[in-house]
Amino acid sequence: MSQPDLNSIHSPEQPPLLEMRGITIAFPGVLALDNVNFDVRRGEVHALVGENGAGKSTLMKILSGVYVRDSGEVIFKGQPVFFTTPRQAQLAGITTIYQELNQVAQLSVTENIFLGSEIERGVLVNWPEMHRQARELLAKLHLDIDPRQPLSRLGVGQQQMVEVAKALHHRADLIIMDEPTSALSLREIEDLFAIIRQLKAQGVSIIYISHHLEETFEVSDRITVLRDGRHITTQPTRALNVDSLIRYMVGRDLSEKFPKEEVPRGREVLRVENLNQGDRLKDIHFSAYAGEVLGIAGLVGAGRTELVRAVFGADPIDSGQFYIDGKPVTIRSPRDAIRYGIGLLTEDRKQQGLVLKMSTRENITMTVLKRLTRGLFTSRRRETALAQQYIDSLAIKASSQNQLVINLSGGTQQKVVLSKWMATEPRVLVFDEPTRGIDVGAKVEIYKLINQLARQGVAILMVSSELPEILGMSDRIMVIREGRIRGFLNRAEATEEKIMEYATGANQVVPEAANVT
Amino acid sequence: MSESAVVNVQPSANRASRILRQVVVAAGPLLVLMLMVLFLWITSPAFRTPTSLLLIGLEAAAIGVVAAGQTFVILTGGIDLSVEAMVSFSGVVAAILIAGTNIAGGQIAFGIPAGAAILIALAAGTGVGLLQGLIITALNINPFIVTLGFRSILLGVSLVWTRGAGINIQKDALLSFLTGHIELGSLKIPMPLIIALILYTVVWVTLRHTKLGRYTYALGGNETAARLSGINVGLTKTIIYGISGLLASIGGILVMGRLQSGAYQNGTNMTLISVAAVVIGGTALSGGTGGIWGTLVGVFIIRVVEAGLVYLSVPSNAKEIVIGAIIVLAVALDVLRRGDIPWLRIRRKSSA
Repeated sequence: MSQPDLNSIHSPEQPPLLEMRGITIAFPGVLALDNVNFDVRRGEVHALVGENGAGKSTLMKILSGVYVRDSGEVIFKGQPVFFTTPRQAQLAGITTIYQELNQVAQLSVTENIFLGSEIERGVLVNWPEMHRQARELLAKLHLDIDPRQPLSRLGVGQQQMVEVAKALHHRADLIIMDEPTSALSLREIEDLFAIIRQLKAQGVSIIYISHHLEETFEVSDRITVLRDGRHITTQPTRALNVDSLIRYMVGRDLSEKFPKEEVPRGREVLRVENLNQGDRLKDIHFSAYAGEVLGIAGLVGAGRTELVRAVFGADPIDSGQFYIDGKPVTIRSPRDAIRYGIGLLTEDRKQQGLVLKMSTRENITMTVLKRLTRGLFTSRRRETALAQQYIDSLAIKASSQNQLVINLSGGTQQKVVLSKWMATEPRVLVFDEPTRGIDVGAKVEIYKLINQLARQGVAILMVSSELPEILGMSDRIMVIREGRIRGFLNRAEATEEKIMEYATGANQVVPEAANVT
Repeated sequence: MSESAVVNVQPSANRASRILRQVVVAAGPLLVLMLMVLFLWITSPAFRTPTSLLLIGLEAAAIGVVAAGQTFVILTGGIDLSVEAMVSFSGVVAAILIAGTNIAGGQIAFGIPAGAAILIALAAGTGVGLLQGLIITALNINPFIVTLGFRSILLGVSLVWTRGAGINIQKDALLSFLTGHIELGSLKIPMPLIIALILYTVVWVTLRHTKLGRYTYALGGNETAARLSGINVGLTKTIIYGISGLLASIGGILVMGRLQSGAYQNGTNMTLISVAAVVIGGTALSGGTGGIWGTLVGVFIIRVVEAGLVYLSVPSNAKEIVIGAIIVLAVALDVLRRGDIPWLRIRRKSSA
């Protein structure tokens, strides 16, 4: 690809860096993008928002050469382009930083930056030169990282920065960031935003995709909304607010973000005493009550997921006693936990919650197949009826019971996981990040289902990294730091500040504390 | 695909194309098989006789049964490299019991009826299969390693018990029945083929309509999710290696009965062929997708190719080359059908 006239970078009359016109692509059974227009100016941060399934990722995959469009044109740096592999897009100057980082954790930072474009001297790799250039790139991003260390030693946030460095190395004009903050701590998010501003100043354009609307407002210049594969609007960020944006995204008003219902607290269902697991969990004591939503808050790595997995029998523990309805029980495996009426919606639906290549029906009935089996054979009639019951009551948007869950949107997938646990008629239901990667409209539906379960007397445990969600939905909040419970807060007294005090280690070292993650 | 066709997507047209696609995906290997049969039918008069077709059926029976077990294992994302040794082992065990002798020690006892001998051999094979499954799950060792180890162990045992020779037996009524044929008018349908088809039906029902079948697909598709859904992953896997052991042992009895000899070479090459048949039949080596009928088609493809080489007078020494090429070609075709090759998909779209 030839270099265009670089002197024209900041001239506003110049044509946009990227222009996508009339982009259309169909997948089996769905018109994923319908005549979508989208453009990015030089040095602009353009946010792309929309519910899951709106077509954001598809549009970006067409841009980066992962998918091939059925019709429409893409003009990049003034020339029509047709990328058919991500590598072509990268060579032209478009780099994508994916939600799930595609890096090799065992290799060094330098090796990751230069993966596929190693500098050679003769037939040998020129290590000194590569390390030197890597150090330069990292310095440009104000990162104090030794490029020789393996990537696995870095935190998720820093690994992402390395990815940005890699993009710079490829002299990217346009960087696509797909949910870049989903795994980052608050401090790391701040760092990322600083780098985004810096890249902007250098004339690099960024397409920013996030479910966190607040972030979108903080970092973007313009916002484009997609819905159901169609372009809805493109406006300067300052012309929008959260409410108007949500209206564009869902096509209607959202009465409440957190439709919390007060349910009287019932009897104790689950009690955990003296739970210990290596360095990860220490001296955990708590109870969960029928009808109560117990929020579990803490920084990333504090031990929240470890705690709920231990209660579910998914990981071995050193010690701990569990009581169901006051009676001591032994939980050594998920099967034990399920027998005692505990269910777990894992934070990672695709890796741990669903069998993606199986049908909606088969995923829903997976936990209760035993119950649907008479003699040797499973009853297809009972199975279909059970699956349909949940598809109807949870309004699961699948084209049929046979639709593979891999083809469902994130929110719908979460409903399938929820169905699978509701089918076990649980006493205790644990939600680990119940709305991660789920769009605004579907979030509210999930919250309503949580309400409904609480009303039916299920004890709910809810791990979440989103404080508004914790505050909005919990009756009681348990805060964890470094594997220990640091305190409980009632709904009435809880604030973001109080939670953060417990989560970061009281008020002593607040500014530095976030560094520890 | 033209632009207008894509823009004017109609739900019905879409469904039709999806169904068509599913048919093509399902029938792909079958189509290949039919084309091959058609080709041989036209080019070779000798192939055109019912006898030669039934012979292919007979040749396909034992390996077919073995491949059925392999299908189970591969659906879970595992592999069973011990099947060829299991074929030999079960044949040797049964032959020793029937003959009441082993080469190493001469006469050890009076021979027992074939029925009892077969049951004992099948039980032994199933037991060894279960043991492999137990080791794989309890110690969390890669099935590749465990079954490779047991392949050697079983071949070694077969070799020691027979001193490398075959143990010859006389057929009794039961063995004659199992390895004989049923006359249907002028057609002589081989009994082993009928047994294989019955077993395939049983396996199909198991995969389709039982908990075990569902769990097989579930843990092949996502073992973590299966475990966290309360599925007893260890038990399921163990049972599946037991099933593979059982089916390979049945294959072993069919081979032994036909040859009237239990020898350590009875199962030669069967591991490779069974894995190839499974893959040709459209089951993913990574597990979770595929099915039993594809495997049957895969077995027939391999057997028809072998027979075809004979009818086309290709020197038998070249057989391996052709079989190897067929395996690679069949899998390549499968990938093409699913459209998983970026550069090809692109060429198809942009050239339209």
